[in-house]
Amino acid sequence: MNQRPVDLMAGMTVRHALMAAGLLEEVEQGRRVHDEWGNEVGLEGALSPGLQLWVK
Amino acid sequence: MKRSIFTILFLIIFSALISPLHAAPTSLRILYVNDFHGYAEPYKAKGDGPLQGGIAYLAARVNQLRREKPTLLLAAGDMIRGNTWANLFQGFSVIELMNAMKFDAMVVGNHEFDYGPKVLKEIIARARFPVLGANVAGLPALKPYVIKSVAGVRVGIIGLVTPETPELANPKDVQGLKFASPEATARKYLHQLRNQAEVIIILSHLGYPEDRALAEKVPGIDVIVGGHTHTKLDKPARVNDTIIVQAWEYGKVLGVLDLTRKAGKISLAKGYLEAIQPEPGQDDPAVSRIVAKYQQKMDGVLQQVVGETDVDLDADHARSRETNFGDLVTDIIRQKTGAEVALINGGTLRRSLVKGVIRQQDLYSALPFDNYLVVLKLTGGQIKEALEHGVSGVAEKAGRFPQVSGLTFTYNPAAPVGSRVKEVIIGGQPLKPEQEYTLATNDFLAAGGDKYTVFVELLKGDAAPQAQVKMGKGGKVMYSQPGKQLREVVADFLQAQGKVAPALEGRIKEVR
Repeated sequence: MNQRPVDLMAGMTVRHALMAAGLLEEVEQGRRVHDEWGNEVGLEGALSPGLQLWVK
Repeated sequence: MKRSIFTILFLIIFSALISPLHAAPTSLRILYVNDFHGYAEPYKAKGDGPLQGGIAYLAARVNQLRREKPTLLLAAGDMIRGNTWANLFQGFSVIELMNAMKFDAMVVGNHEFDYGPKVLKEIIARARFPVLGANVAGLPALKPYVIKSVAGVRVGIIGLVTPETPELANPKDVQGLKFASPEATARKYLHQLRNQAEVIIILSHLGYPEDRALAEKVPGIDVIVGGHTHTKLDKPARVNDTIIVQAWEYGKVLGVLDLTRKAGKISLAKGYLEAIQPEPGQDDPAVSRIVAKYQQKMDGVLQQVVGETDVDLDADHARSRETNFGDLVTDIIRQKTGAEVALINGGTLRRSLVKGVIRQQDLYSALPFDNYLVVLKLTGGQIKEALEHGVSGVAEKAGRFPQVSGLTFTYNPAAPVGSRVKEVIIGGQPLKPEQEYTLATNDFLAAGGDKYTVFVELLKGDAAPQAQVKMGKGGKVMYSQPGKQLREVVADFLQAQGKVAPALEGRIKEVR
């Protein structure tokens, strides 16, 4: 998440990753989450090990 | 002789003209949605702009696009579970919609298993379209693939769901089922369909990174229509010769992929996501009627009595002291999970309930968040650290104040933050800092919500490439059930119990 590793349990989602990285409030104020290919992802989207996400 | 040469030339030219190389191009359209999660009504998330989606508006657009060219309408999983509009009817409301919209095929997502095998079988039986799951063994109602003829082109559609489904669902809901490798399964059915289909689509609930990996490894897939990661792929991606699409979430967009097929292969692919907005008069009336019918039924279901309380259940003070509502909910969590201790943030409880009957809608207002339960293995020292954090904002009545079961503790609110917690008793014994205990909480805190960093820290240290910690097997996660919400666990308990009357027990005491 923004190049900072976060450790989560299987089944957790983008929302949990944002919480763990302390970025959820920023997203709730209108910023967007993108994957490493530049695609926007929803907060309930599934994660996979090693996935890189960015809050822009 | 002359005549023979003429005949041979004629045959050569004729056969060349009718060969696939000279066949007229064929156009077909694929419309797709994924991760709808029962969001039948237009939707607006915190931080979003105007209302988006609304299945009746999406259906109207499907109708228009279908009239333009031969079309398939596909669903890439996680359709029937999530929003209350779907959950209160165990997903049957969504299947009725999908039947009305004449879907051509759907793959099961991990959340399709959340209502249990009996309901899933009934859902599949009610669906007037094939429900696919090629890599699921043990549920014959799921078909591995379907072949559809579109504009004279035979299209093979193979369904694949994430093999992590057993980790995401309640174990009893997937008991007896086996989830095979998507790659091996794709290879197997591609081989089978080689002479039966001219276009191969993988309808995938694997997630976008996994779809890319599949396209890298397995040649011969024309299109992957994906889901699971809620990815907004504005334009189709291409990996080798495979086109990959995914349409975000909740029916906020409709995916459109136009394929032109010439000389036996796809010569042109154009795709986009069409934003769905609820414009008055732009809905499909038949679908609107289904949405409204279940909306009305919902009101009835929410009025259903789930239990009764002989005392008022206090949520108003859950951010500053022990409350009987906090005791009740954490006791239910501990009983459900079998953990030694349960701890939730007081902010979980949003409304007190007065003495009398408890209806479904009371639970929705008292426990509005879609939290699920998690059990972690912590040392006594880490539990004390969690309690210290919990009481650190008591003066400002911060939502992180703990409500607990299976332990009692004293704390001095006047002491410096970090050294307020005094005596902690677990199972009648003083907390031992080095001993490991099982602690049940909600996913919000487990992910570090309300700045409970102790839980997130707990998950660190596993091998980096396998960052997601597996359950049990020496790991710190003992239980995790994303498919069952805390509110449902409480409702189940109240329905079984009938009547409750929780009283304060002195679990949390202030000392000076």
